[in-house]
Amino acid sequence: MSQPFIQVKNLCYSYQDDDGREVPVLRDLTLDIHRGEYVVILGHNGSGKSTFAKLLNMILEANSGQILIDGKDITSPDMTDDDVFALRRKIGMVFQNPDNQLVATIVEEDIAFGPENLGLPSEEIRRRVDDALEAVGMTAYAGHEPHRLSGGQKQRIAIAGIIAMQPECMIFDESTAMLDPSGRRDVIKTIETLNRERDITVIAITHYMNEAARADRVIIINDGKVAMDGTPNEIFSQGERLAQYGLDVPQGTALIHRLRERGISLDGDCTTPEQCADTICAALAGKGEK
Amino acid sequence: MDQIKISLEHVSYTYSKGTPFEIKALDDVSLNIRTGTVTGIIGHTGSGKSTMVQLFNGLTRPMEGRILLDGVDIWEKPKEIGKIRFRVGLVMQYPEYQLFEETVEADIAYGPRNMGLDEDEIRSRVAEAARFVGLSPEMLTKSPFDLSGGQKRRAALAGIIAMRPEVLVLDEPAAGLDPMGRDAILNGICEYQKESGATVLIVSHSMEDMARYCDDIIVMDHAKVRMHGPRDEIFARSDELIDAGLDIPEITKLIWLLRSRGIDVDRSIYTVDRAEQELAHLFGI
Repeated sequence: MSQPFIQVKNLCYSYQDDDGREVPVLRDLTLDIHRGEYVVILGHNGSGKSTFAKLLNMILEANSGQILIDGKDITSPDMTDDDVFALRRKIGMVFQNPDNQLVATIVEEDIAFGPENLGLPSEEIRRRVDDALEAVGMTAYAGHEPHRLSGGQKQRIAIAGIIAMQPECMIFDESTAMLDPSGRRDVIKTIETLNRERDITVIAITHYMNEAARADRVIIINDGKVAMDGTPNEIFSQGERLAQYGLDVPQGTALIHRLRERGISLDGDCTTPEQCADTICAALAGKGEK
Repeated sequence: MDQIKISLEHVSYTYSKGTPFEIKALDDVSLNIRTGTVTGIIGHTGSGKSTMVQLFNGLTRPMEGRILLDGVDIWEKPKEIGKIRFRVGLVMQYPEYQLFEETVEADIAYGPRNMGLDEDEIRSRVAEAARFVGLSPEMLTKSPFDLSGGQKRRAALAGIIAMRPEVLVLDEPAAGLDPMGRDAILNGICEYQKESGATVLIVSHSMEDMARYCDDIIVMDHAKVRMHGPRDEIFARSDELIDAGLDIPEITKLIWLLRSRGIDVDRSIYTVDRAEQELAHLFGI
């Protein structure tokens, strides 16, 4: 297997509170993420998942441990400012509040902000802006004013601003938390397209279990460490452990577990509503044959 | 006959009226909220629900129509609108950004103090409010900025509960919280409702939370009330909810998938408990 895109080894991070006491957030976090993966990170508030994301593109610096991106140690003291900029171009980050991420008064100018700062020729900037708008399905809004857009649309513009930097990996730090259901659906669809069609590695932090159900891989962070790591089906089949970490399972999964506890034999996956329906239908059909 | 706590009578509200950017946020809305119920307000972004929430406690004034609290127009004496805000408590979105005092206790006490209550009464109300939201006495002496996100949110809610409002209005109280934080805050609201008999209105995008906590549901769509009724009735019309740009609970989605495959299950199921009963029955248990 090729070298992982992101290698995190024994990462520790703590901050000092007002009384000067060290408060540990990450304790010995170790994991690998491969190129092209779609990873969802879950964990209760305060588990350290956002801190982890901020360490990945050097908004924060680790106390100890290593992060290798494409083999390069970003925790090394030799990192220059240029290295940091190069890293942030490689790994883009989308935050929770869309209003805090838009800088210009016209959508296409906002998306051009990053590429302009790279000093690219104007034809190249034009090409990247058009491409980024298309990637998020917002081409029709190029000349609009961002503040008149809905939350979901604003968030897609924020994503386009990152796409225009041509990143290899994107981190979404609860980027759907402030959106309404239709805005959330649009943003998730956009994220999935970026992963599948443009091969961008996606790391999404969320509290929504149904978003996690659609990822390739789910990582649970608890108490600053990796507590669970597997496919959505592997993770959500362990409802009791999730509850210990302050997390839920999707409602369909909960239903299947309860029916199994009543002695009904239900074989098959049960993460998305579609899988649950398949599993229930198969069991009912089997029952009919007996 | 149920008592009516709050009524909207032909209420309209328009932003940027008379300009090319005119947006109708509420268009001739009339409705009654029953005393002592928990009502959920849902609707896509821009459907008018946040405007409606700000009307209930007189934060904005309707351009047309009246808002009645216990049958009395809240704008009858505009100079006394401040008194309405003690009776109708509004918890805005992300209220934790509004904490400002040196200690959690002082922050919760801010509202009751403005009501002109004496110190003993303020102390007892702060203690009571902290109990409702599950903040321990040790937390009360801390700076609000040393609390976790979920705890801050609960401290902000306690600041409103300490005024013992007859009506408690909350705009997305659980947004951005993890499952435990969400349950803690919603249970706190329900505890207060049960003990005080207050009327509660909750704006939320989470159909799962609505299904669990609300008696009645209002569905807003394009500045109008599209549906209003007991939750059973509303969730039985899931196709209309989807049509209004809303989600349905995951469990209801599953039930509808089963129905579409010819399995005969009740279409109005919206909780895991009910789904479990229905399917156990189907499997002959």
